Amino acid sequence: MTAETLSALTLSLRVAVLATLANAVVGIPLAYVLARHRFRGRALVDLLVTLPLVLPPTVTGYYLIVLLGRRGWLGAPLYAATGWSIAFTWYAAVVAATIMALPLLVRTARAAIDSVDRDLEKAAHTLGRSEWRTALEVTLPLARNGILAGLVLAFARALGEFGATLMLAGNIPGRTATVPLAIYTAVQTGEEQAALILVALLTALSCVVLVVADRLGARAA
Amino acid sequence: MSARLEVRLVKRLPDFTLDVAWTADGGVAALFGPSGAGKTLTLQCMAGLLRPDAGYIVVDGRVLFDAAAGMDVPPQARRVGYVFQGYALFPHLTVADNVGFGLRGRPQPARARRVAEVIERLGLAGLERRYPRELSGGQRQRVALGRALAIDPALLLLDEPLSALDAPLRQTLRNELRGVLGEWGTAAVVVTHDFTEAYRLGDRIVVYDGGRVVQSAPRAELLWQPASESVARIMGIPNVLHGTVVKATPDRIQLRWRGQSLEAVNSPTRSYLPPPGAPIAFFIRPEYVRLIRKDRVVADPRHHMNLMRGEVVLDEDFGTTWTLRIRLDEPGPPAQGAWDLEVEVPHLVYEILDIERDRRWEFSIHRGSIHVLPA
Repeated sequence: MTAETLSALTLSLRVAVLATLANAVVGIPLAYVLARHRFRGRALVDLLVTLPLVLPPTVTGYYLIVLLGRRGWLGAPLYAATGWSIAFTWYAAVVAATIMALPLLVRTARAAIDSVDRDLEKAAHTLGRSEWRTALEVTLPLARNGILAGLVLAFARALGEFGATLMLAGNIPGRTATVPLAIYTAVQTGEEQAALILVALLTALSCVVLVVADRLGARAA
Repeated sequence: MSARLEVRLVKRLPDFTLDVAWTADGGVAALFGPSGAGKTLTLQCMAGLLRPDAGYIVVDGRVLFDAAAGMDVPPQARRVGYVFQGYALFPHLTVADNVGFGLRGRPQPARARRVAEVIERLGLAGLERRYPRELSGGQRQRVALGRALAIDPALLLLDEPLSALDAPLRQTLRNELRGVLGEWGTAAVVVTHDFTEAYRLGDRIVVYDGGRVVQSAPRAELLWQPASESVARIMGIPNVLHGTVVKATPDRIQLRWRGQSLEAVNSPTRSYLPPPGAPIAFFIRPEYVRLIRKDRVVADPRHHMNLMRGEVVLDEDFGTTWTLRIRLDEPGPPAQGAWDLEVEVPHLVYEILDIERDRRWEFSIHRGSIHVLPA
């Protein structure tokens, strides 16, 4: 295995792990709020979270550039203040993977939370628990398998992300070239063997992920 | 002394309005009525799980909710135990953890003592480490009761506590539940759509219909004096009939029905005095109709009050009793489709009188068994 293949692999794992963590932090509360609360703009939030699931990844990536690029809505003030931009760094790969994976977690987790009997939450309220404590002690533990399944799917999605990552982080070998991007480069430059190794690795990983998610899903049901 | 429980609630939903007021003097109040009458909605308001649009909820002088005063104690602070329909036990917690769930604020030793006490009193000893899915229906009910009672509630609310059970178990557990409620002495409100259940469990029965209270009375009073025809129908009383007033005095009402002249007892306390010729609703309890034995005396209007004659057109075996549908020997359409009266007789009577073969009977009804329903 070449140094480049290895670096693509470690980068991909690092990006996927961090994106999954970010998903857990953002996605689980988001799924809970979407499942349990009616508020203004709920449909909009739902739409925005789900959109990356159906948009071409390059379109999502384009929006991320508009938002975070050096001249983006958030990126420009940041660049003006610090002289640093997230674009074309490996952080950008994490952001892209996070956004692309988020709908998978939110939708799976939300379905799991939806299926928790509301009477259990009401019972917890009459037994002295605040909504926050009820979520921690009752709702989320009971939705655990669904949430874990969502996290596994999010991890898989983050690991395989290509289009949005390419747009926001570029394809810089050793810095932002994750496995899917490295495969693309390898095929383009005729490095058949490198491509084959990476393809086999990703395929195997995806199979494992699907089996695990399926088991968790089955137990959640 | 004021009532222990004072409830006045208005809650408007898109396609339903709850507008009720009732009081109860401790003991068990049974909210009885058809599904969708607003009984569970009332419980949820009392527990603070739903905010009424107007009204008040007072338990033992403690105001839990008062719309006018802007008072709304959150469910966490109401000290109201709630036994949910289907029990809503936490499936990921053991029996002991379910029972102790509401005791989190207490120090660990006190908590463990209380859990042990409740488990002991409800006969759940030995099941502490089981999970809800490993329990029988009856055990689940007791865990749900224990979880609600462990917090030493000022008020216990039970939503259809027996509906999750099979019929044979239901009767046993109804008696068991009555025992627990009596023993713990906590003021309780039970929701049920089954009149037998309401009667067995409730000291007072509050009859709900379409989001309103149509009658609230001690259970015996409700049984013998439904306030109106609609209450009688909700209670499922058979033989609700319509006649015409001949003469009404404070203690007797004479009426005509299906060509018969009937005499009924009026209730002096109710002082219901409809004018002659007015339509009147009444009911006759099927188990209070007396068939007259042909081998003993000759039927005589002087000895047999409200004497009638008719034919059994249909009979149904209910195991311990037979229900006979009798059509009177009178011209004109029968009062209830193909028959006029439903009569219930024990199996023994059915056999002795050989009703299976002998279909023509004379029967009488004591005036005290004809109950007038005020309009």
